[in-house]
Amino acid sequence: MDPDLLVGALTAGSLYALVAMGFNILYRPTNVFNFAQGDLVMLGAMVGATVITVLGLPWFVGAGLAMLAVAALALLEEKVAVAPVLNRSATGHGWVITTLAVSMILANLVGLGWGPDPIAVKPPWPLSTETFELLGANVSSYQIAVVVVTVALVLGVEAFYATRAGKAVLAVAEDRDAALLRGINPNRLSSWSFFLGGGIAALTGVLAAPVLYASTGLGPSLLLKGFAAAAVGGIGNNRGALIAGYVIGLAEAIAATVLSPGYQLAATFAVMLAILLVRPHGLFGRAEARTV
Amino acid sequence: MSSRTRSALLLALAAVLYLAPFAIGTEYRLFIATQMAAYVLVAVGLNLLNGYGGQVSLGHGALVAIGAYAVAIAMVDHHWSFWPAALLAMLAASAVGAVMALPAFRLSTWYFALITLGFAEVVGGLLTEWRELTHGFAGVVGVPKPVLLGHELSSLDLYWLALTLNILALWGMANLLASRFGRALVGVRDNPVAATASGVSLVRIKMLAFVVSAAMAGVAGALYAVQKTVVTPDDFTADFSIFFLLVVVLGGAGRLWGPVVGAVVFFLVPELLAALQSWRMLIYGTALLLLMLYAPHGLVGAMDVGWQHLRKRLGLPPVASQPPLAAGRGAVEPVAGEALTVQGVEKRFGGVTALAGVSLEVAAGTTHAIVGPNGSGKTTLLNMISGFYPIDAGSILVDGRSVVGLAPHRIARRGVGRTFQTPRMLPALSVLDNALLGAYPAERQSALSAALRLPVARREQAASLADALRYLDFVGLADRALEPAGELPHGQQRLAEIARALVGRPRLLLLDEPAAGLSLDELDRLGELIAAIGRLGTTVVIVEHHLELVANICSSVTVLERGAVLASGTPAEVFSHPEVIAAYMGTQAGVGQAAS
Repeated sequence: MDPDLLVGALTAGSLYALVAMGFNILYRPTNVFNFAQGDLVMLGAMVGATVITVLGLPWFVGAGLAMLAVAALALLEEKVAVAPVLNRSATGHGWVITTLAVSMILANLVGLGWGPDPIAVKPPWPLSTETFELLGANVSSYQIAVVVVTVALVLGVEAFYATRAGKAVLAVAEDRDAALLRGINPNRLSSWSFFLGGGIAALTGVLAAPVLYASTGLGPSLLLKGFAAAAVGGIGNNRGALIAGYVIGLAEAIAATVLSPGYQLAATFAVMLAILLVRPHGLFGRAEARTV
Repeated sequence: MSSRTRSALLLALAAVLYLAPFAIGTEYRLFIATQMAAYVLVAVGLNLLNGYGGQVSLGHGALVAIGAYAVAIAMVDHHWSFWPAALLAMLAASAVGAVMALPAFRLSTWYFALITLGFAEVVGGLLTEWRELTHGFAGVVGVPKPVLLGHELSSLDLYWLALTLNILALWGMANLLASRFGRALVGVRDNPVAATASGVSLVRIKMLAFVVSAAMAGVAGALYAVQKTVVTPDDFTADFSIFFLLVVVLGGAGRLWGPVVGAVVFFLVPELLAALQSWRMLIYGTALLLLMLYAPHGLVGAMDVGWQHLRKRLGLPPVASQPPLAAGRGAVEPVAGEALTVQGVEKRFGGVTALAGVSLEVAAGTTHAIVGPNGSGKTTLLNMISGFYPIDAGSILVDGRSVVGLAPHRIARRGVGRTFQTPRMLPALSVLDNALLGAYPAERQSALSAALRLPVARREQAASLADALRYLDFVGLADRALEPAGELPHGQQRLAEIARALVGRPRLLLLDEPAAGLSLDELDRLGELIAAIGRLGTTVVIVEHHLELVANICSSVTVLERGAVLASGTPAEVFSHPEVIAAYMGTQAGVGQAAS
């Protein structure tokens, strides 16, 4: 297999894993799968690109502003579109449609505000997208950084779940009422996880911008590939999402060379369906304990 | 409104729609009306899946595309006539859809939404990519008009065809929803556990709803192709799927006429939307959000609420007509109870051992109690007998046959009925419909015969109705049969749940703390009811804290403590057992006092 292809697959796979982790951070305490997550990533990329490329401010300022702005927006989403439907029925799925609606509103507002042209973003110093040869493959220092940052983020988030605060999050996911009795406020946790999930989404977008460009088209494609990574890895399982992100990235790269780039999405989708058919809860997921 | 005036009104409406073209028909209006009828067909199908089944599909636009392309390719490239091509469209949409949906239906609802969203993207991409089949961006041009008996259908004929299909679809849908399939589908949406315990296979019923709705989308695609005569990838963007979802949500998800109302409203405001073309998706998104927040049952739901208010103000009762209920009175039939044998059953949740080798024996036709402190594993044991939890070790035999490893709906179909600690009702359905859900596994009618109201289906439905009314009468709820189950007080919900289980004619009935939360008066009636169930011959296993009730109605008792059997025997033996008295009731207590 072409080593360049592997590099591309690892970079793309890392980004899919990050999107999946954003889903998981939201999903664990709320059992809500945010359909607007792809557009939050897209918005993070746009805000970051505007601050860095258009305003010429430093990379870290751009990343910080994007994270803050998108996190606040995700919080607003939780208050307006998620909490009201969950209050009406905690087990209902009204949020599927309301978060989808938020996604449509976001995508179109950003489209009206920024226009359809993608914005190129330079990586922060001293990283570069110039490639050099490493073990027979053309690699850029930025691609290496994306992979390293992704792995570090996944391990960091997993380490958080091992702490007391992290266990509180997991407890709420398991049983909202029981957690309430133990003095954990599930509503506040939901708000916090949307805030954090929004921040992670924006960071993903800012990281993706130098590789994928910042454009409004990012939303739907990252939503689907991030979902594929989350589902194949097992919903809620971030390490699984990391590995699944690479599986999806590879499947995509192979499909593009063996078939044609036009069949990329179809092939990725087929791989995901096949895995879910054999292992409904993903490669590393476990069936949720049923409560009767 | 009585059902007779209702039918008369609907007939008049149909007549007006059939004859309207003679008065106000222009080519353009016929074109729009036919297109609307095709969209109504899609939306009515989507409503079955989304409104009644609670499964959000974001890929119905792609199913319409498959139908439209199937007809266009078959007629233009392969010179098929329209009718077999339309059949192909229907089969292709449902087959492709079923393959795509299969993995999703074993998982949570939202997986299905995302997978259908991905499916729509994939189909959209293939329409341009797979040039040999689809002709790429140019699409398929020159789809001929259908020919019937040598006569080429005019645009007026096409309108009549579409209108006829709409009427058939609504009629079939109403019939299907009133049958076992409609109740099972609402069960999938509102209380999957209750549906499973009543013998419904969730995956099968979701698949049925999806295949029916995909087939309708395929037929609508066939109409679309011959009406527009050109199909191109641009007709089937991602927006197209969202449009159908919005039509359903706007009109009223889970209301029969919702999608019709939604489509009509959409077609009445086309000028507005044309002027705001670039804002369209923003408007769709905002509309979806506001509707979900403030009018989850859409326009039809809002009209229902308004109608109820009006009736109240006029001093009329909330429910208008009462069907004859006396038909169900009569004796309930005896049952051949089956023995239960539990041997060495173990269950661990992570590091916690819930059951550490429990064995018990319940003779056929007897009433057995499982008692023990909270957390001793009683409910876990019931969940394992009924298949809701997988078993770690040991064996469970019902009438000598193992039920280990069977899915819970299969165990229910084997004649094991159950109720839950908190009653699991379908709150939106009437008490009667809840009881009828219990008849699901016994009924044999197919979805097709139910939709067409064939005599075989009608006979069976009448028999089930009589049955359900008999058992509601048996538990003392006949006079509340038509009330929404969600509005019954707690004690009566318990009785309704027992009635639902009994309608399934269980040979082994598992009752999980039936006395919890009942008043003293209700408690006496419950005791009599369980004794009566026992006299029918049913084997009853009851998990209960209320020891007086247990002593009165049970012939044998097993005491569990921390996942193991502490004692078993007749109530008198067990309750005088020193260890039981010490461990469970405290040293001071004795039989006759409630321990909970």
